Amino acid sequence: MRLALAIGTFFILVIHGIVFYNQFGHPWERNQNTYFDQAKVLAKTDTEKAALAARRPRIEQIVVSNFGETRVDRCTTCHIAADDPRFSSHAEPVKTHPYSATLGDYQKDGKWERRHKFAEFGCTVCHDGQGRGLDAEYSHGRDEYWPDPLLGFTTQENWRKDFAPKLKGKEYMEANCAQCHTDTAFAGTALVTRGRVLFFATNCYGCHRIEGLSDGTIGPDLSDVGRKWKLDYLWGRIADPKSILATSIMPKFNLKDEDIKALVVFLKSRKGRNFAETEIQRFKVKLTGGAELVQATIKPVQINPKEMVKQGEKLVLDRACTACHKLGERDGGIAPDLSQEGLIKDSEWIYDHFKNPKSTMPDSIMPAFRFTDDEFKAMTAYLVTLKGVTAPPAGEAIYKNYCLRCHGEKGDGHGPIAEHLDPYPRDLTKAGFMNSKPEARLVNSVRNGVAGTSMPAWGKLLNEEQAKAVLSYVQSSFTKEPRREVKPHAIPEKNPVATSKESADRGEALFVNRCAGCHGKKGDGKGPNSLDILPKPRNLRNSFFVNSVDDKRLFDSIEYGVQGTAMPSWIDYGLTHNDVGDLVNFIRSINQKPKGGQHAAAIQ
Amino acid sequence: MSPVTPPKPSPFAALLELPGNVWKSIFRNPLPSNDLERSATSFTNFFLHIHPVKVHKNSLRPTYTFGLGLVSFFLFVILIVTGILLMFYYVPSTTQAYDRMLDLRGTVAFGTLLRNMHRWSAHAMVAVVFLHLCRVFLTGSYKKPREFNWVVGVVLFLLTLFMSFTGYLLPWDQLAFWAITVGTAIAGYAPIVGKDMQFLLMGGTSVGQEALLRFYVLHVAVLPSVLILAIAIHFWRIRKDGGLSRPEDADPTINLEAIPAVKASVLEPKKTYGLQGLVRGPLTKVGQIPDNTVFSWPNLFLAELFTFVVTLSAILIVSLLFNAPLEEPVNALHPPNPAKAPWYFLGLQEMVSYSAFWGGIGVPTIFVLLLLGTPYLDRGPKGVGKWFSRDRLLANTIFITFVVANIIFVIIGTFFRGANWSFVTPW
Repeated sequence: MRLALAIGTFFILVIHGIVFYNQFGHPWERNQNTYFDQAKVLAKTDTEKAALAARRPRIEQIVVSNFGETRVDRCTTCHIAADDPRFSSHAEPVKTHPYSATLGDYQKDGKWERRHKFAEFGCTVCHDGQGRGLDAEYSHGRDEYWPDPLLGFTTQENWRKDFAPKLKGKEYMEANCAQCHTDTAFAGTALVTRGRVLFFATNCYGCHRIEGLSDGTIGPDLSDVGRKWKLDYLWGRIADPKSILATSIMPKFNLKDEDIKALVVFLKSRKGRNFAETEIQRFKVKLTGGAELVQATIKPVQINPKEMVKQGEKLVLDRACTACHKLGERDGGIAPDLSQEGLIKDSEWIYDHFKNPKSTMPDSIMPAFRFTDDEFKAMTAYLVTLKGVTAPPAGEAIYKNYCLRCHGEKGDGHGPIAEHLDPYPRDLTKAGFMNSKPEARLVNSVRNGVAGTSMPAWGKLLNEEQAKAVLSYVQSSFTKEPRREVKPHAIPEKNPVATSKESADRGEALFVNRCAGCHGKKGDGKGPNSLDILPKPRNLRNSFFVNSVDDKRLFDSIEYGVQGTAMPSWIDYGLTHNDVGDLVNFIRSINQKPKGGQHAAAIQ
Repeated sequence: MSPVTPPKPSPFAALLELPGNVWKSIFRNPLPSNDLERSATSFTNFFLHIHPVKVHKNSLRPTYTFGLGLVSFFLFVILIVTGILLMFYYVPSTTQAYDRMLDLRGTVAFGTLLRNMHRWSAHAMVAVVFLHLCRVFLTGSYKKPREFNWVVGVVLFLLTLFMSFTGYLLPWDQLAFWAITVGTAIAGYAPIVGKDMQFLLMGGTSVGQEALLRFYVLHVAVLPSVLILAIAIHFWRIRKDGGLSRPEDADPTINLEAIPAVKASVLEPKKTYGLQGLVRGPLTKVGQIPDNTVFSWPNLFLAELFTFVVTLSAILIVSLLFNAPLEEPVNALHPPNPAKAPWYFLGLQEMVSYSAFWGGIGVPTIFVLLLLGTPYLDRGPKGVGKWFSRDRLLANTIFITFVVANIIFVIIGTFFRGANWSFVTPW
C-alpha cells in the first residue's frame, strides 16, 4: 500500500513536471528568441542592440474592432518579423510580410510603406485563420472544426484529396479583399468579378438567391454562403453536387477548373454582410432587389436579325441550358429533351415559356432567367429549327426514343427526369386507368399532348399509325391486361346547372367538404392527403389543363371516378347530377383567365 | 520534591522551536504511537473528524466498495478546483464564450490542462457515480437503516447528471449547442409541464443568450450549492446509519447472557449521567467484546489517500493525452447530422427515436421512481452486504436488466447511429 502510494505520488509529480515543461517551452518563444538573435546581428547601433538584448519573449497581439466583431490577432507572436523589412529573405515564420504594389503598398523616401497597416487591419481580416491561437496547428486552422483556415494556404485533413490541391493559392484571398472592395470591377478582385459574371452566365442565379443580386428560390440562398462553408465544400458542391448531398437536384455543370475556382472565390466572398456596407445601403438594395446589377454584370449579346438562329444556338449551348435539358449529346438529366423542340412546340409557346415558365406550364420548376428579349427571341428562333430525327416505325423504338425519359424504362412513370415534373408522368402499368379509356382518347393524348403538363403534342412526329403502334407496345409490355369493353356511363350531355355565382358558391361549399382532402382547399392539388397518393391529385388551378377538357369529361371523372387513381366514383357517395354541375361551375370559375400568351405578341 | 523551575526561555531557542510550535499549534497530536493518540488524531482534526475512530474491516475490503463513493467525491473536488479556476476566464455571453475557449486552448497558462481536467472529470464523475449506485444496489446496502441515505444518493446521481448537462452548453460550440437543443427537447416531451419546463430552462423557445446565462448560473452557483449540501447529508448519514453496510456474519455474536443486564441508573443513583449513560442498547461494549474493527489511523486514511492519488493521476494522464473537444462556433442554422445529446443521455435519445414520450419521459421516470422507492418496496432484511446475494435475486435481476438495457441503448446511440439517426456500423 505504502509503496503504491509512493509510486502514485511520484507519478503525479512527473505529470506536473511535463505540464510545466510544456507550458514554458512554447515554440513561439523560440521563434522570438531566434528573431532577437538575428536582429542583434543586423542591428547597426548599440542602443538598438541593447534594446534587443532587453527584450524577452512575450505574446504580441493586435486588437482590431474596425471590421465587424472585435478581432484579436496574435499572429505576430510567431510572425514577429512581419513588419521588419530586413527579414524579407528569411524563412517563415520569422520573415517579412511581402510588400506589394498591387496591395497598395508604396515607397516613401526609399522605404516601403504599407497601405494596409497591421496595427489597423490585423491579419485574419485578409488571411482568415484563428487569430487567438498561439499554436500553428490551431492558428492556421488545420483542425477540422475551425471554419476559416488560412485562405489559399491551409487545407484541412478531411478535405477531399482530389480537391484539396486545387484550393491552394493566394488568389483565394480575393474573397476577403471583396469584403471591403465591393466595386464590381475592382482590379484587385479579378476572380470575384469573374465569378460574379459566371454566376449569371451559367444561370446559377436562376435557382439561387443572393441578397442584392438574384432571387432564385429553387436552390439554397447563397447570401452568406462564404461564412457558412469552407472552400472544399463550395468546390465540391459545384464540381460534383451529388457527392456531398445525394438528394441534391443541382445539375452537374461541366465547368473548367478555372471557372469553378472563380465561382468558389466569388461565393466565398458572400458573407451576408460586407464591412463596406452601411445599413442604409443594405436597405436600398433590398428595396430595388438589385435587378440592374444583373444587366450590369453580363453584357447582353447584340442580336443580328440575320444570324438569329446561330446566335441563339450559341446562347443555348453557352448559357448552361443543357445543365438540365437534353440536346443532342449533352444531357443534364433534369428537364425534357429539346432535340425535336421545333416539332412539338411552336415559337409563341417557347417564347412565353422563356419569359415566364409558369405562364405556359403552371407547375414548371424552370426558373425565369433574365435574358434580354432579343436574346430570348434568338434562342426561340434556334429552338424551332430543331427537328430531331425521323421517328422510327416500331412501337418499341418510338417509346425508347421519346417516352422513356419521362415514363421510365418500366413504364411506371418513374423516368429519369420524372421527379422534376409536375404533374408526374402517367403510370402506364396501371391497367385500371389505361383500359378504361377509349383508344381514341389515348391516341389524342399522344398526338395532341395534354395541355398544362409536360406531355407534348407528338402529332408532327408520329402519325396515327405510329401513335397506335406505340400504344400497343405500351399495352403489351406495361399494361399487360387486355383492353376491356368500356360501359357507357350515364352522364348528362351538357351541364344541367346554368353558370351563375350562386351555383359556383354552392360548388365551392361542396368542394371544400368533399374534395379538399386531396385537391386542397384552393383546388391546387395539394390537400393534406395528396402526399400519400400516386398519381398526385390533379391541380384544378392548372387552367391550361382544365380548359382543355370538356364538361362531359369532368362529369365522367367526378361521377364515375378515374380508374387506376385515388379518385372515387362520387355517384356512390350521393352526389347528384346537379351537385356535380355546381362543382363543375366552381372549377370553371377558378380558371377564368388562362395565363400565358401575354408575351407572344412580341415574337411576331 | 521541589517544583521544577522552568528554564528561562531564550529568544534563540524560541526561534529554533518555531517550526515545531507552529506545527503543534495546527495539529494537536503528535504522530500517534498508541491507541489513544490514534483515536485523538481522528477527532481532533477538522478534516478527519467526519471519520469514525475505528472502522470495520469489511469497509476496508477493496473489492467490497472499489472506493467508488470516494472516487466520486474526489472527482467532485477536482471539478470544484478546476471549475473555479476556469471561471476566472469564462464569460457567459454568446459573443464571447467561444473566444474564451480559444484563449483557454491557446493562450492561457495551463488553460488546456484545466479544461481537459474539468471535462474528463465531469464525464468520469457521471460514470463513477452511476457505478457507485450500482455497487450500493447490488450489495443490498439500501436496506434498513440506510433507506433515506439511498434516496439522498439517487438525488445526488440526478444532480450530477444535471450538473454535467448544464456544463455541456458553456463552450458554446456546435457540439454544445446541439446537444443541449436535443437534451432540452427531450424534456419538452413531458406531459402538461414539458413545454413550460423547456421554456423555463432555455429562457426562450430556442437555445440562445438567455439559455447560456441560465445554464451558467445553474452550473456554477445553484447546482454546486445543492450538491454540496446533499453530499454533506449523505456523509453525515453514513455515520449515523452505522457506517458502511456489512454482512451479518461480519460481526461476532455477542453473548448477552454472560453480562447481566444492568440499568445505568442502578449503578449510581445519585449521579447525573453523562452521554455514555444514555446510550441506547443493553451495554457499552468498549473493551469487553471482540470486534472486527481497526483504527482509522492509519488504515482508513491511507486507503483514502491512495484512492485520491489514483483518481488524480488517472485524470491527469487522460487530460495530458486527450484534448477536450471544441467544435465549430455555434451556427444555429446548420445542425450537424445527427445532432446528439451528451453520451449519458444518448440512451434516452435512442429510446426517444422509438417513442418520444416513453423514451424521453415514461421509461426514465419509471426508472427513477423505482430507484427512489426501492428501499421501501424491498423490505426483506436479508442479503445485506454481499455482492449478488441470492436472497435478493429478484431485485438484482430487475436492476441489472434496466442497467444493461440502458447501457446497450447508450452504446447504440453513441456508436451505431449516423445521419438521420439511421443505423450505421462504426467500422
